Amino acid sequence: MAEPIIQVQNLKKAFGNHEVLTDINFDVNKGEVVSIIGRSGSGKSTLLRNINLLEEPTGGQILFHNQSILDQNFDLPHYRAAVGMVFQQFNLFSNLTVLENVVTPQTTVLKRNAAEAKTHALELLKQVGMDPFVNAKPDQLSGGQKQRVAIARAVAMDPEVLLFDEPTSALDPEMVDDVLNAMKALATTGLTMIVVTHEMAFARDVSDRVVFMNEGVIAEMGTPEQIFDHPQQTATQEFLKRYLNRA
Amino acid sequence: MKKVWFHLLGVMAVVIGAVALTTHSTPVSASGTFKVGMECGYAPFNWTQSTSANGAVKIQGSSDYANGYDVQMAKKVAKALGKKPVIVKTSWDGLPPALTSGKIDAIIAGMSPTPDRRKTIDFTNTYYASKLTVVVRRDSKFAKATNIQDFKGAKITAQLSTFHYQAIKQMKGVVKEEAMNNFPAMRVALESGTIDGYVSEIPEGITAQDANPNLKYLKFSKANGFKTSPEDVDLAIGLRKNEADKATINATLAKITTKERNQMMNTAVAVQPDTSSQGNWFLSILKQYGPMLLRGTGMTLLISLIGTIVGFVIGLLVGIIRTIPTPKTKGKRGLQWFINWLLSVYIEVFRGTPMIVQAAVLYYGAAQAFGINMNKTMAALVIVSINTGAYISEIIRGGIISVDEGQFEAAHALGFTHLQTMMKVILPQAVRNSLPAVTNEFIVNIKDTSVLSVISVSELFFSAETVAGQNFQFFHTYLIVSAIYLILTFTISRLFRLIERRIDGPKNYNVMNNQMQVETPEVK
Repeated sequence: MAEPIIQVQNLKKAFGNHEVLTDINFDVNKGEVVSIIGRSGSGKSTLLRNINLLEEPTGGQILFHNQSILDQNFDLPHYRAAVGMVFQQFNLFSNLTVLENVVTPQTTVLKRNAAEAKTHALELLKQVGMDPFVNAKPDQLSGGQKQRVAIARAVAMDPEVLLFDEPTSALDPEMVDDVLNAMKALATTGLTMIVVTHEMAFARDVSDRVVFMNEGVIAEMGTPEQIFDHPQQTATQEFLKRYLNRA
Repeated sequence: MKKVWFHLLGVMAVVIGAVALTTHSTPVSASGTFKVGMECGYAPFNWTQSTSANGAVKIQGSSDYANGYDVQMAKKVAKALGKKPVIVKTSWDGLPPALTSGKIDAIIAGMSPTPDRRKTIDFTNTYYASKLTVVVRRDSKFAKATNIQDFKGAKITAQLSTFHYQAIKQMKGVVKEEAMNNFPAMRVALESGTIDGYVSEIPEGITAQDANPNLKYLKFSKANGFKTSPEDVDLAIGLRKNEADKATINATLAKITTKERNQMMNTAVAVQPDTSSQGNWFLSILKQYGPMLLRGTGMTLLISLIGTIVGFVIGLLVGIIRTIPTPKTKGKRGLQWFINWLLSVYIEVFRGTPMIVQAAVLYYGAAQAFGINMNKTMAALVIVSINTGAYISEIIRGGIISVDEGQFEAAHALGFTHLQTMMKVILPQAVRNSLPAVTNEFIVNIKDTSVLSVISVSELFFSAETVAGQNFQFFHTYLIVSAIYLILTFTISRLFRLIERRIDGPKNYNVMNNQMQVETPEVK
């Protein structure tokens, strides 16, 4: 079971002189759901964006199936198709309808034929409860609806890994559950997921492992029980105290 | 700062290259035609008419005919040379470059062999000797003038780049107005009172008076008139320097007596287009010149439509190229830098110079420097396309910038290549955002094609000038033409609004079933 699919080694990222990630090391195994928690500005999103190279690392190494993704000859489009991403701001293609949003990436990147892609898309849109809205444009949807479409779009690529960058942070509270439910459903399918989140209940209930980041480093990492019930570091304890008291 | 220098360098390189090449002269075409350039709007010397009546000659690339003293003279000369006369309608300022660049073989357009002109082109002996006059309003206080010194305080002008304009100096105490481009414009200015008179030559004066009873040309005695040198009032045929046929042409001219010349001029004055109109002015203009105006409208629409479409494609390509992410290898990065530099030079040059100058440089310059004899319409299409491309590139760039960064990220995160990202996601949105500006560009093109009259493309404005020059109903003709322009631009702006709405799609979408029940998704 412990077959690492993504390995992050000594990862560094700086924007100019401002170092955001100092030295990140962690592996994600196939089928694992990893939650990354921590304060705003602790580097969670930057880490995620480095994993699919939306940001170029300043140092260190990232391996996918033991192959460096930073290699000159690495097939980046293929890798990105295999490692999907769901954004905080949804980023649905606003010129396309809901259905086209899910179909176009399949036909464009994976070269699937239109009929097959459409069947696949409709099936996934149905799973997230968005099938009635196939003809709508993203602007006509609520935040929660958009995010469910975005999830369907990412899943439609049949990725090996899905990255979630604070998928519920831009949503109204009553919308959050719809999106979390869709994510929970995905977690049970055995998909490898890395989730940056502020939803502690989700991190505790759904993830196999929780990573707590603080000031650009991984301060603590372990099972949800270890992190939530027996945090070792004071930074973790303080962070969780504030969050759990609020809940 | 560094960037600015590179741009300047690029522009200079282009200019130096062009100048270096202009020193070559093009060989005279040894074809069986004798191509004669004239304005076809300076009656009785030359004018445009729609039939071949009275021995008119067809105008090259047009279905109209030219006639007048110059045309009849051109026929005589061509006959002596054993060639077929071809009339090339060319604006006054375009005549010398058209000659030196080989677009025409001779200028027979009522042109005087001034020393300045002799620097660039050669002239034959005189083919008509004329006299200067002043054309005034019949009801003005200057109508009774018998001496050129009787014009104190009068606002006087003449045609640009003619010795007529220089002659105003001899009229003491007049207000010298800016020179004007052509005679029709001066007649309008005179009638409307903007000027009190213009300096012209007797034949033109007769014509003006015949056409418009409100105008009058004045006769001065030798002592009271303008002092002119023979090389000014004597009209000659302009030729390229070292033209082999010059001797033959001079011999032909020598055989035509003064009496015969006056006869030819009288005939020309007599048969020039009738300018008196009967009945409804609107209908009579449409009836007489409708086809000409329609063709002009078609040409304007063709040039601006194709120019905008090609310019749009150029703009999209430039937009795609300029947003390519920086490559990793050094060589590719250098290449990308170079291409981007070239593109910004292109945009700066074509945005930074007037289209009228670009057209003149391309059409006359290419012929003079490289011997490329471009078709007028082709040159117009190329210029409008390239010019529009430069503007639309910047419009599209603005459109691309206005697309949310998240759209790029989402496409990249899904594995789209740069080209796929641009084609499927970014450009559709960028184009939608730029559409109002592109509509603007199209409308500007419809109006700005009028500057192409510099290379004598018979678009709407050029046709209008011709019509007005013939019927002397300036206000009426231009009123009709402005209505045509307005109809074109208004239709286009409405059409683009429809397209915009079409792209935006319907405001309502069809929900496949009751959307109230689907707020909570089922977990499977």
